[in-house]
Order: sequence, then structure tokens, then C-alpha cells
Amino acid sequence: MAVIRTIDLTKRFKDLVAVDHLNLDIEEGEIFGLLGPNGAGKTTTVLMLSTVIKPTGGTAVVGEYDIGKSPDDVRKLIGICFQEPKLLWVSTPWDVLNWHAKVCGLSTQERKKRVKQVLEDVNMWEHRRKNVHGLSGGMRKRVEIAKILIQRPKIAFIDEPTAQIDVVGKHKIWNMIQELREEGTTIILATNELHEADILSDRVGIMHKGKLLICDTPKTLKDSILGGDLVEIRLEKEATQDAFDELKSFHEVVDVVTVKPTNLKVHLNKVEEIVPKIMELFMKRNLPVTSISMSEPSLDDVFVHYTGLTIEEAQRKSP
Amino acid sequence: MRKLFFVIERDLRMFVQYKFLIIMRAIWFVSQVAFFGLIASRMVVPQLADIYFEYYVAGVVVMMLYSASVFIGYDIFEEAEHGVFEYLLSLPVSRKELVLGRSIGGGIRSFILVGPLIAITLFIIGLANPVNFLIAFFSLFLFAFGVSGMSITIAVGLKSADRFDILMGVLNAFIIRLSTTMYPQVFVQEANLAYAKVSEFNPVTFASDLFRWGVGIERYFTMTPMPLAAIIGLVIFFAIFTFVGITIYERRLEGGGWR
Ligand SMILES: Nc1ncnc2c1ncn2[C@@H]1O[C@H](COP(=O)(O)OP(=O)(O)OP(=O)(O)O)[C@@H](O)[C@H]1O
Ligand SMILES: [Mg+2]
Repeated sequence: MAVIRTIDLTKRFKDLVAVDHLNLDIEEGEIFGLLGPNGAGKTTTVLMLSTVIKPTGGTAVVGEYDIGKSPDDVRKLIGICFQEPKLLWVSTPWDVLNWHAKVCGLSTQERKKRVKQVLEDVNMWEHRRKNVHGLSGGMRKRVEIAKILIQRPKIAFIDEPTAQIDVVGKHKIWNMIQELREEGTTIILATNELHEADILSDRVGIMHKGKLLICDTPKTLKDSILGGDLVEIRLEKEATQDAFDELKSFHEVVDVVTVKPTNLKVHLNKVEEIVPKIMELFMKRNLPVTSISMSEPSLDDVFVHYTGLTIEEAQRKSP
Repeated sequence: MRKLFFVIERDLRMFVQYKFLIIMRAIWFVSQVAFFGLIASRMVVPQLADIYFEYYVAGVVVMMLYSASVFIGYDIFEEAEHGVFEYLLSLPVSRKELVLGRSIGGGIRSFILVGPLIAITLFIIGLANPVNFLIAFFSLFLFAFGVSGMSITIAVGLKSADRFDILMGVLNAFIIRLSTTMYPQVFVQEANLAYAKVSEFNPVTFASDLFRWGVGIERYFTMTPMPLAAIIGLVIFFAIFTFVGITIYERRLEGGGWR
């Protein structure tokens, strides 16, 4: 059952259409990765779904409530971890989280327990009495994500949870997000980190310029790009033209790029089946292979394929 | 209702952090009374000098209350800058609770500051009738809530800290000068009839007169019947700005956040 359904959801800022007729269903209990380059409209979508800003067109149903008609009911179901931590500058992490827990309706006992637990989980317990002002960027982000881990809402919007957070911290947070889902929270994860989306999401949607380009499971998306697998071959001697031609004639092979005469990059499908054939081909021609490495397509490739942007271009700040 | 309480609590907690502000305001009050009040009352005919001094001290309390209640508007800009605004809008709290809570929170904050000064005032003027004083005291809360609501409304309506600062300066000049905080209504009337009209329907006048009535300075009332007319005036003032505040809050902010 869809727990969120957007119906031509649109947000226009003067001349700019930040979110353009978005139609999207998010299933109960899933982790949905919302991907897209900077300025794609991810955060704007999250803010509309959480009733912080109003759409200029279309609507959405969250839980069973329309975001325009019953925003107060919608807000009882949701929690947000903002992209930029939103913390009161004169408070301490403990105060921020304690107040948040109160407003979200936790009982005193529950609140004390969870605030302590989560502060420990995000490694902020020893900094709990520091002024928020004096925390590092990553520490603030940890406090921001702690809000949602304490709140455990029915629907959680998590916007770039691990930006600025170190590697160890990232893995911890990913685990906590998964635990949150296991307890029944539906999670909308807006992120630029494709690897993060890949390991966490049940389904992902890729947005670009306010539009949803594609939406499916990471696996289906990866399989959907032709020539998504990559094989890199290094030879002892230079490859001959006929070896090159025969390689190209396999119909699973999409493209062969000669990096150097002894180093070929082959874009192909069904890598498991074809690698033995490639080995055989070179052996037959007495061209010993010194190394062969394979990689599966990542969401990066899917992203590049559908947005037409390289990852670098996508991560540059939008105009 | 509990949510409303949490919203208020947050604003109070925040206020106690402004130690510098609190100390400076207290110094401001003392100097207004000890310098301006004492010196200016020499300009009045000698037999009224003491009365004017008391009159003026009571007025300064209301001025303090006004400017302390306005202060919450500045917090809104700080919050916008730190993005806390969007956070508040995302919480399971209705817009009504949020605006009402913050108006009340902003008002109570100013009492933390002005409470001790009221005690000083009572020491200077003395207390004639405790019941009257209590009525006046609680009416001043309404005044403070209303001013906070007004400040929030203007801050959110303008969305610019600079313009807010300038406008509040001008508004302060009008609303305080054209009221009975510093001079009785009869003199305002003598100066200009239009001034007198503004002063007569000014919440600052309601508050000042009520406070003077409460501490038993029975002279120079503006409104009749006292205290009912002034209390009604304050209730209307508070209600208008809570209502306008909620409306503006929804209109101005949800369109696109703060920017
Ligand atoms: N309040 C606003 N007023 C005007 N334009 C806005 C506003 N908020 C967002 N935009 C614009 O809308 C577009 C979408 O922004 P949004 O923040 O939703 O992108 P995003 O996908 O979250 O990007 P990022 O990966 O950088 O976080 C951008 O071009 C942005 O400049
Ligand atoms: Mg964003």
C-alpha cells in the first residue's frame, strides 16, 4: 500500500520550476532513495511532503491525509532530518533533543532513555553539554539525525544523512537507518551519495530538473543499462586487429575502448558468461592476458546514463 | 495544550541565555528613573513634582515591557538565519499553537525582566489596593502577549532584519510618544487633537493607565470607565495580533520557507 502518493506535485519559485508534476508512490515500510544532482528538487519535494512549504500545483497524500487539507495531521506522522542541521544556536545537543522529544509527545521516562541512548549511538554523549554553536559540521549533523532516531516517526524524511560525516560514522548511521525501518518506519532518503542509496534503498527514484526520470529497484535499474558491466583487460603484447574485431563481434559486447594497445576496456552485458569466451579468444591468438578485472554497474552508471551528467558535473553546485 | 506549553518553554529557555541584554535593560531602567525621572520632574510645578515622578516611573515600566516584548521579533531573524524556522514548521504543532505559544512566551519573557522593576516601582510608589494591583498586573500580561504577537507578525511580514529594525524604531517613536506613558492625556489633547485620538486608542496608553490605576495613582485617567475600557482594549489588541499573526505566518512562510 502506498503510504505517500504525490499527484502532479509542483513547486514553482518565480521563473524556476523546482519540482515539476511529480507523480510518485512510496510504499509502506520501504526505504525510498530520492536521487538527483544538485538543484534537482529533492529537498523541495521533502519540504512540501512535510508541509513546511506549500506546493504551487498538484498535491500529495501522506498517510491518509492530504498535505493541503490536513497539514496538522500530516505533521503528526512525519519527522525530518534536514539537509542543513537546524539547531537552536544557544542550546546544547541534549537540550535540543530533549525538547524535540517532548514536542513529539514522548513520555518523560521514554524520553530520558531514548535521548541518552541515541546520543551515545551517534557518539555525541560526551559533547551533550557543549554549545551547539561550538560543534563541528559533522557533529551538528549527528545531532540532526539523532532527532529522528529519537522520534521514530511513522514516516521519516532523511535529507543527506551522512554529508560531512566520517566513514565510521557513516556506517553507523546507515545501520541505524536500517534499524529504524525494521521497526516499521517508512523512510524517504534524499541523497547525492549513490553508494549510500544503493546499499540502503529498496527502490530509488532519480530526479533531474524537477522531474522524476525513472523509479525502480537499484538492481533493475543497474541491469537496465546496456553495456553496464565493465571488463578491463591487460595483455602482454599488443592486441591484433583480428582479435579486436572478434571481440567486437560478440553480441553481448557493446563497446571496446583501447586505452593503450595492451590495455582494453570492454563495456558489455552478462559479464559472467562472456569472460571465459574472451579469455579463450586471446589464448587462441597467443596473446597472454596478464590481468583481467571486472566491475558491475553501480548506481553511478545508472545516474550518468539517465541524467546525461557525469557524477562530477552533478555534484557541482547548481546555478 | 501541552504543545503550547513546550513552545512557551523554548522561548523562555532561550531568553535566559541573553544575560547581556537583561543586564543592559536593567541599567537602562535605573538610569531612566534615577536621571531622567528625577531631573525632568523638576520642570513640573513644584507641588506636582513628586506626583509626576511617580507617574513617570510607572510609564517607564510599561515602556520596558513594550521594548522587551518586541525583542522576540529579533529572535525570529536569528532563527531564520539558522534555519530553525523550517524546523519549527515541521513539528507536530499547529500553526495556532506555534504563534500563540510564541506570543505568550515572548510576553512572559519580558516579565522576567520587568517583574523585578515592578517590585522597585511598588517600593517607590507604594501599594494602595492589592486587588486593583493584581487586576492591572494580569492585564499587563495581555499587553505583553499582544506586543510580542505584533512583533512576530511584523518580523514575519517583512522578512528583513534591517527593515524590521528601522520600522520598529519608527513604530516605537509613534506608539510610545503618542501615548500616556510619559505625559497625561490632557496635555496630549492640548497639544493636538489628532495626537489625542491616537493616544486614546493606543494599547500602550491602556497598559500605562491600567498600571497607574493598579498602583493607585488616581490622577489623570484617560479612559472611563476604568479599568474595564482599558482591559477590553488590551484584549482586542492581543486578539487581533494573534489572529493576524497566524494568518501572516501561514501565508508568508509556507510559500517558500523564509527566502
Ligand atoms: N525558497 C526558495 N526560493 C527560490 N528558489 C528555491 C528555493 N528553494 C529551492 N530553490 C531552488 O529550487 C531548485 C531545487 O532545489 P532543491 O534544494 O530542492 O534541490 P536538491 O535536489 O535538494 O539539491 P541538493 O542536492 O543541492 O540538495 C534549486 O534550483 C534551488 O535554487
Ligand atoms: Mg537538497
